[in-house]
Amino acid sequence: MKRVRSRTRIVAVLAMVLAAALSLRAHVGSPDVYYEGDAGPYHLFVTVLVPQVIPGVAEIQIRCASQDVRAIEIVPMRLSGAGSDYPPTPDFAERSKEDPQFFTGSLWLMESGALKVRVSVDGAKGKGELSVPVPSAAQKTLKMERPLGGLLTFLMVFLAVGMVFIAGAAVREGNLRPGETPAPGRARRARVVMAITAVVVAGILYLGRAWWSAEANNYQRDVNIFKPPAAETKLVNGNRLEIRARGQDAEWSNSVKMGEVIPDHGHLMHLFLIGAPGLDRMWHLHPERIAGGAFGEDLPSMPAGRYQIFADVVDKNGFPWTLVGNVDLAQIEGKALAGDDSTWSGTAFSAQGVDTSAAELADGGRMIWKRETGPLKANVPMDFKFSVEDKDGKPVTDMEPYMGMAGHAEFVSTDLSVFAHVHPAGSVSMAALELARTGAGASGELQAGMPMAMPMASAPLPPEVSFPYGFPHPGDYRIFVQIKRGGRVQTGVFDAHVQ
Amino acid sequence: MIQMTGVLVGIACGYMILTATFSGEAAAQSTAVRIWGFRGPLGAFIATWGCVAMLTSAPFDNWWHNAYGLDVKIVSPPHTLLSLGSFSIKVGALALMAGLMNRATPEVRRTLTWLSIFIGAVCVAQLGLILTLPTWAANMHTARCYLAVAIGIPAVLMGPAWGLGKRWACTLVAAGYTAILLAFEWILPLIPAEPKLGPVYQHITHLIPLRFPLLLIVPAIVLDLLWSRTEQWGRWKLAAVSGPVFLLSFLAVQWPFADFLMSPAARNWFFGMAYFAYFDPANFLYNPYQFQIAEKTSGEFWGLMGMALIASIITARLGFSWGDWMRRLRR
Repeated sequence: MKRVRSRTRIVAVLAMVLAAALSLRAHVGSPDVYYEGDAGPYHLFVTVLVPQVIPGVAEIQIRCASQDVRAIEIVPMRLSGAGSDYPPTPDFAERSKEDPQFFTGSLWLMESGALKVRVSVDGAKGKGELSVPVPSAAQKTLKMERPLGGLLTFLMVFLAVGMVFIAGAAVREGNLRPGETPAPGRARRARVVMAITAVVVAGILYLGRAWWSAEANNYQRDVNIFKPPAAETKLVNGNRLEIRARGQDAEWSNSVKMGEVIPDHGHLMHLFLIGAPGLDRMWHLHPERIAGGAFGEDLPSMPAGRYQIFADVVDKNGFPWTLVGNVDLAQIEGKALAGDDSTWSGTAFSAQGVDTSAAELADGGRMIWKRETGPLKANVPMDFKFSVEDKDGKPVTDMEPYMGMAGHAEFVSTDLSVFAHVHPAGSVSMAALELARTGAGASGELQAGMPMAMPMASAPLPPEVSFPYGFPHPGDYRIFVQIKRGGRVQTGVFDAHVQ
Repeated sequence: MIQMTGVLVGIACGYMILTATFSGEAAAQSTAVRIWGFRGPLGAFIATWGCVAMLTSAPFDNWWHNAYGLDVKIVSPPHTLLSLGSFSIKVGALALMAGLMNRATPEVRRTLTWLSIFIGAVCVAQLGLILTLPTWAANMHTARCYLAVAIGIPAVLMGPAWGLGKRWACTLVAAGYTAILLAFEWILPLIPAEPKLGPVYQHITHLIPLRFPLLLIVPAIVLDLLWSRTEQWGRWKLAAVSGPVFLLSFLAVQWPFADFLMSPAARNWFFGMAYFAYFDPANFLYNPYQFQIAEKTSGEFWGLMGMALIASIITARLGFSWGDWMRRLRR
């Protein structure tokens, strides 16, 4: 979604020069962006810590795989459409004194919507560039801390009372000749003026409070607009699931048209049905668009139960949304899985605090999480590496792309407040990444239903897959890692406790 | 940074108040007012209040940005407090000088008069800045523009001028305002600059000035001519004439001048109508010189114009009250 500032607002900016709620979008509860890619000859791992308020300051962290980088410039831009071609003056990312391959910088994100951070690298191998899609959205309204509230209240009372006494002094003594003392009549008039001033000041404070509340409500509407839309479901003919999106703000549907979403690695919607509360079953399905901007899919056979819904779509501007909801299903006797649809079922998450690092695969093979020793920490960018072995413990040789990529990973917190659909390139939407690369989008180059260009490797992929990501907050998580071997999708499931 | 001006004022006025309170100097104490046991010139207290208001706005504004994002509005609660504090400092400075002038020798009075004219001009410039949006060139054919001017300008233009009781004071204050804005308009484009924020729609290589000043100089001249014949009038009668005279003479020159500003002849460095901000979108270029239509019916237009006329009388009366108060001020 792109919200172009009005001329009025623009003039206001010029004049100024002179004079946990759930968050959102691309994923649920996981707003920061993790990306791994190549800027020309330089391999980079980019983390964008997005601000909680917009406009606000995003923190950019860049790790270079090589030591031959001299300088990195960063600049925020629109992902697509008008304004995406003309960047402001870029800022230099600062090189860490302790780690010369680590660079950091801060960027103002001035508007909500689908943005990108363009990273330009200069080094021994010449220049290189990459763009990282960044969904920019207001996440919350900051509460005022008690000490600051106390200080401002004290100053407000001081100013209010001070104004009353100044008005009194002005009437009582302001006009007196030097050395003259005020007559009783003046003192009386001063008291009357002080009383009137007090009433006026109280009125001003009342109006100020009303104004403040109105401003806060307006901002909250922005926050609500970017909360995950609700997934409204309907079961038709016993096994056909239809999903509609309903924004948390009434104006949401004016800005985001489900009829105009663009395909993300080959599908308009990636629907995840996860058994709740144990996260013991998971379906990764791809409903088709039906009339009225809804999506529908004939469900495969599924046991009865409650399922959490996370449905990823990308709007025409490259802003990723995740529809969130749940549905209670009776036993479904449905079709067999086909195409890119996949499923997993296993044990429920129960052993809280116990991490797993190996997962059994359906064919007797194993998936190994090659995690570093030590506890997992929240808000730390990590590279989640997984290797795949056959039943004999040997690296597999039949890995192939699954929807154009070496793997897909879904990070889900056990309280279902976090859901992130991550790829080897990171947490960015692949459709947004394509827009960032080509600048296409609103102009219509990427039409809904048209599959995105996906590299289809002819040779088998390596038996390892990695995902750059960082857990957004402490807690227990289940990680679903999906790969494709010999034409069949396999899912390895890992549990993680994050501090 | 803007709060530094408040700090400087606070230091100066705090020194005056503490000196008058604790030094025991009879001269300082005899020309002081008393508030909460402190003594000092009334203007120093008003300016100190403004300083505290400006300083209060700093953490308030900082929190506001953190809570609701960088504020791109001119008029927000913390900015209003900042503006109120800044304006109070000017009111305090004018009061301080008025008290001095009303006790001073003619030589000192002359010097302070020019200082007061300058402060008055800065007051008008500050209000003009607050009224930027409704008085933008494209809005100059709306009744809202003139209503905003009638509400915001007469008191700050007439008050300091009337307080001086000097012939052509109103003209001088308006001339000061005009000079300040022209200086901004002509000097800022000489300073190289590039946009640091996006999205960027316009290639910008220097600072962009705000706009050509409002033609307040014309109603100011008319008011001075009027006042030279009507000083003995009652204040309500004077306001009932001065307000409409101000508004109608302003309307008479600004309305046609707006036509000129929107014409190609004004798209030069002198009138500054060819400047665009980096964030002016490309489609804006198709109609940047087209007047906005704010009032849907002629009834609405004339209704607002009538309100502007009434507002001009009230704010002119406020200006006279302010000016009379400064004429009487001795401490």
